[in-house]
Amino acid sequence: MIYADRSTGVIVTGATGNQGKFHIPFMNAYARQVGGKGIVAGVTPGKGGQEVSGVPVYNSIREALREHDAGAAVVFVPAGAAMDSVMECAYAGIGLIVTITEQIPVHDTMKAIEYARLQGSAVIGPNCPGLLSPGECKLGIIPAQLATRGNVGVVSRSGTLTYEVIHELTRAGIGQSTVVGIGGDPVIGQTFTDVLGQFEGDPETKAVVLIGEVGGSLEEEGAASTDLPLVAYVAGVTAPPEKRMGHAGAIIEGGEGDARSKIRRLDGMGIAVAERPGEIPDLIRGYL
Amino acid sequence: MRLAEYEAKEILKTYGIPVPAGAVIRSPGELGPRLGEFGDEIVLKAQIPVGGRGKAGGIIVTGKGEAVSRAAALFGKEIRGFPVREILAEERLAIGKEYYLSIAVDRSSRQPLVLFAEAGGVEIEAVARERPEAVRRIIVSPLLAEIPPFALRDLLGDLAKDLAPVANRLYRIFREKDAILAEINPLVTTPKGICAADAKIIVDESALARQKLGKGRAKTDREQQAEAHGFSYVDLDGDIGVIGNGAGLTMATIDLIALYGGKAANFLDVGGGADRERVKHAVQLVAGLPSVKVIVLNILGGITRCDEVAKGILEAGIAQKVMVRLAGVNEDEGRALLAGKGYTMFETMDEAVLAAAGAIR
Repeated sequence: MIYADRSTGVIVTGATGNQGKFHIPFMNAYARQVGGKGIVAGVTPGKGGQEVSGVPVYNSIREALREHDAGAAVVFVPAGAAMDSVMECAYAGIGLIVTITEQIPVHDTMKAIEYARLQGSAVIGPNCPGLLSPGECKLGIIPAQLATRGNVGVVSRSGTLTYEVIHELTRAGIGQSTVVGIGGDPVIGQTFTDVLGQFEGDPETKAVVLIGEVGGSLEEEGAASTDLPLVAYVAGVTAPPEKRMGHAGAIIEGGEGDARSKIRRLDGMGIAVAERPGEIPDLIRGYL
Repeated sequence: MRLAEYEAKEILKTYGIPVPAGAVIRSPGELGPRLGEFGDEIVLKAQIPVGGRGKAGGIIVTGKGEAVSRAAALFGKEIRGFPVREILAEERLAIGKEYYLSIAVDRSSRQPLVLFAEAGGVEIEAVARERPEAVRRIIVSPLLAEIPPFALRDLLGDLAKDLAPVANRLYRIFREKDAILAEINPLVTTPKGICAADAKIIVDESALARQKLGKGRAKTDREQQAEAHGFSYVDLDGDIGVIGNGAGLTMATIDLIALYGGKAANFLDVGGGADRERVKHAVQLVAGLPSVKVIVLNILGGITRCDEVAKGILEAGIAQKVMVRLAGVNEDEGRALLAGKGYTMFETMDEAVLAAAGAIR
């Protein structure tokens, strides 16, 4: 497993909003099931003293850290203030900041991610489902019931397509070490390269499924950076140029970032590329 | 969202970057009274939201005498699929040198990337391919409010004295207008000084509200209608309707249709946690596409409840066949609701898509 484990205490920011209220109980139910620390505190400015599903809420990260030990945060704060929350976490020294919020202006994201980097914090997301290490911890919204523990790492720009893949892997009897959704925005904190670097240092992970989509070149850069056995899938082979396919980052711009040229480059590196998600379990089995 | 050229140039002008004398006209009649503003030769530029208009006949150089009739002809045209509704009429510049200058969000470094080339007026991607050394690039920390002088010297070399103010003003525009791209191509020298002969600004779709810009340009009516319901939607040109939850899963569904020899009519992502109302609207919207013969509905419920989805399908009450893939939360309840009602249900997306492609053939 990478980034966090059952001993990681977690703060949720935007705890009293709809998303926070909805997901805190799921994350804590999972923590109880696996004997982990889970969500130790929530933060919403002006809502200190409230509780969300038994989790105490504070006005600021610093207030929360006076009472609790936390190594990670999950950000559900709405788009306009989400990156302020990321910077607050980084300033307070939280090492891992998982940002679920979508539709954050990209200039805000660039600034906050750079700020966090200078503070020594890693940001996962934004516009991502977060991180799940089956049997250890859940930081975000990945449905834990679809996953099972094992030796395959999964890293993806997508949400539900990731669920599809872990669902198929689990059905095929192949467990996962950690599943990381890095986010569907054009600018994201942890890239494929960063996550694959973490997987390289993880003795549990024997092979990795990389799920990409149209837009940019992070897939190729990530694949070129690692010696780990990889199986890749790239969504958007039929995506028309200059159209945003749901995710802000899923757009073919200036003739670049189309799925076929990504697949060609991955292929050229000797990486097995699945034509459809259903092929992934069989391809990855060859590396286990 | 890509701004029209004249909108981009208005912004440049506000920030002190010189642009040609010009006027936007929305009918040929508006041009006549303004002909005195542009000199003897006039450039008429169709304002369409895509590039490549020059080659498609969207830019005309004309004398004063024929300007109105040439404008009338241009208004009657469709350039690269877009009817010409606005024309930017400009003075014809006496161009000396042409440069390329742009600032973009760079995904790989996660920071602003400034590009400069002494070859302007041509496609920068082509220059970068053929003569990569001709394109100079610097990364600027997003935490800096301006491009530092050393970086401008690196970028512009001997031209820094003349062009540094333009580069810094463009950087301010990039930041303050939430641009993902701010490009001047070409930036030209004229006897009167430096001038932005063409300009392109693309504004981040996630920042449209704070930039007080409306959505929906370069989009079809149905795309706008779908957005009003909160769906991510793109029109495609096939006959299999597609509804999925999540952008990646929906994209993968469309790819799978192509792999099995079919063609998707659309991309529709209902989003996470969709309830019966949303699903109903989605099904009705896709069923309303005249080309749609069969629909694939691919739901993998993490937080989306399959029973809600099933109710939405039933309430939509549409004529076309729906191939339903329901998996995840309450999948058994969802399937039970649809059982015996004429819907075909599948456990995997592979099976559902294969059946839809088969139904078309």
